[in-house]
Amino acid sequence: MADRTSTGARSLRSGAWDLLPGYALDALDDADRLAVERLLETDADARRSLDEYREVVAAFAVETEPPTFVRANVLERVRTTPQHPATGARFAPAAADRVPHADSTWATPGAPESGPSPDGTGDSDVLDLAARRQRRRWGLAVAAVAAAAAIAFPTTIAVQVTAERNQLREQSEIVSEMLADPDASIRRATVDGGGEASMLVADGDMYFRADGLPQPDQGRTYQLWIVKADGSVSSAGVLSWQDGEASSLVRGSDGVGLAVSVEPETGSEQPTTDPVVVLGA
Amino acid sequence: MTITLSKPHSAPAAPAASARAFLGQTGAVASPPTRTSSQDVVDALLVKCAHGDPASFTPVYDALGSVAYGAALGVLRDPHHAAEVTQEVMVEVWQTAARFEPARGSARTWVATLARRRAVDRVRSEQAHRDRDQRDADLRTGQARDVVVEDVERKLEGAAVRRCIEGLTSTQREAVVVAYYGGLTYREVAEQLDTALPTVKSRIRDGLNRLRECLGVRHG
Repeated sequence: MADRTSTGARSLRSGAWDLLPGYALDALDDADRLAVERLLETDADARRSLDEYREVVAAFAVETEPPTFVRANVLERVRTTPQHPATGARFAPAAADRVPHADSTWATPGAPESGPSPDGTGDSDVLDLAARRQRRRWGLAVAAVAAAAAIAFPTTIAVQVTAERNQLREQSEIVSEMLADPDASIRRATVDGGGEASMLVADGDMYFRADGLPQPDQGRTYQLWIVKADGSVSSAGVLSWQDGEASSLVRGSDGVGLAVSVEPETGSEQPTTDPVVVLGA
Repeated sequence: MTITLSKPHSAPAAPAASARAFLGQTGAVASPPTRTSSQDVVDALLVKCAHGDPASFTPVYDALGSVAYGAALGVLRDPHHAAEVTQEVMVEVWQTAARFEPARGSARTWVATLARRRAVDRVRSEQAHRDRDQRDADLRTGQARDVVVEDVERKLEGAAVRRCIEGLTSTQREAVVVAYYGGLTYREVAEQLDTALPTVKSRIRDGLNRLRECLGVRHG
């Protein structure tokens, strides 16, 4: 084992050090994995230690001859598949930020942009609904979200390298778990009146976050609504606004989207104004 | 759930050197992690194919395809899935061969790492689909991904780590085995074993440290 007696700086990161075995086992959730990757970027001892753990994990593997068609397929694909250069793949968050486990394998990871990985298709026109929204009354907007859900609107757009994902990442443990879900997706839209809203959806949970929101008028507040598949909406509570930001986690709802409207300070039973933003799951 | 690997006469973790000697004598181990000349040859083949023509990959596949398949099978129960993962991984090995750094570990370890990662990804995304379909969060760590003891016994047969695993405490062994074969996160291991998360983290860490010593893994 390498001698690791040095530096007080390391004690700050002992948490991440302790996670190296889990990293080698692919057993970390997103937040922990990022902590380890930050450590690996700067600490050669940590990289060496990770290499050792990986060798240990690899010692579990038992060589087993794959079916012969695999060989034929691989060699065929290799004939027509170009190779990647050695360099250029760094720890850049942008590159490592794909879906969980996007980082490359040796610890100087740059993501191996291997075959089927989604590439830049993520944020999509999730809501051209958003563009249409402005002309809609509630009923129409809500119906659009519900209908989109009903006809299998692209539901699993992979979480992508986007600024909002980085912002979202800073949130609670629940959100970390949601991010770790390979089927998580993010929707975003601009907010009428200013600001941007995004919604992280994973396994029944929806995490809403907006920033750049203007302060509501005196006596008014932003209220969050859960949009159901049948087009009905129910309150998810008023949003507390701080420095233009607001966020809320909606757990285990059977909603297919979220919407926000400006309501009297005490909140409303049902929305009394047009939505300022609608996000479809 | 309890996992015990019955081996009544098992010895505690042997010092690295004697473990190596022992493994060398028995030949019962498919691929000891200690560097051997044949592994060096494979490393060299992989390095060479990085800027080579596709034909130069054939010997690399022949040397390492079985590692990818074996690593994938460890996590995936279904040979069909494992075959698909192997296919993806071996193409990835070709594509990213230039990123292989022999100083950091063997080609075998590199390929096993890549294959495990993809297999784990597949387990998790399949699981997420099932969860969504069934709207039953409890399944996430339930039956579907339970690690079956007999499976583990069988899978460990011929693994370099087989003998060393006897040197772990039963709780360490359980945590490591569940994490490895279940493709689970720490959190999921904790739920499955009904054990506190920090406890699971330290058991796995201590377990891998012991294995590292027993296997004589040391870099730098």
